[in-house]
Amino acid sequence: MDKLIICRCEEVSLEDIENTANKYSCSARELKLRTRAGMGYCGGRTCRPAVDAVLEEVTGEKPGNDIPLKVQPPVRPVSLSVLGGKKR
Amino acid sequence: MTNNRITDHPVLGKLENQTPVKFTFDGTTYTGFEGDTIASALLANGIRQLRVHEETGAPRAIYCNIGHCFECRVTVDDTDGVRACMTTIRENMKVDSGKLQAVPFKSKPEEWPRTYAEFEKSSKKDGVPHV
Repeated sequence: MDKLIICRCEEVSLEDIENTANKYSCSARELKLRTRAGMGYCGGRTCRPAVDAVLEEVTGEKPGNDIPLKVQPPVRPVSLSVLGGKKR
Repeated sequence: MTNNRITDHPVLGKLENQTPVKFTFDGTTYTGFEGDTIASALLANGIRQLRVHEETGAPRAIYCNIGHCFECRVTVDDTDGVRACMTTIRENMKVDSGKLQAVPFKSKPEEWPRTYAEFEKSSKKDGVPHV
């Protein structure tokens, strides 16, 4: 169960997240930087609630939306050509 | 081709009235129907693995199937990062799966040189000049 993958983009397991959170007793942002959970292709849009939930269980940190793991625009990962670059 | 398909759908109609569309996946030609997404056409053809994780090589397939998670991204006509679950197939579309990537800079912190002398020693070992 602990080998359960939380962040599929960076392949970070529940075990990795729990161990890191326990060892460093870190904030959501620190956890993200240490494990790379939520820093993959999808931009953390898939695993963010799960990472927040694990962290709340381990350190008691409530998920906020001011700094920790907020989603940055654009809404989806897009290529530069979509934003108006030249086509190859 | 008709395997894994609903033969008479209340909204989409009968399967035999659908227009077949041919496309290739990793060089093999498959047939789907007009309006199929890449993911649904491949699933009907029995293919579930769309790519592997770039670093570990673990298999990846449809995860959310609503265009949110980017787990099903494939290369379509040499454009990478296209979501298979959101892209409808076209005739002669060339789809390629995501492959394992090289990780040349993956190393453990204890393997890193701590001094410049150590770094020089390790780089000279290969006989390749430092760039």
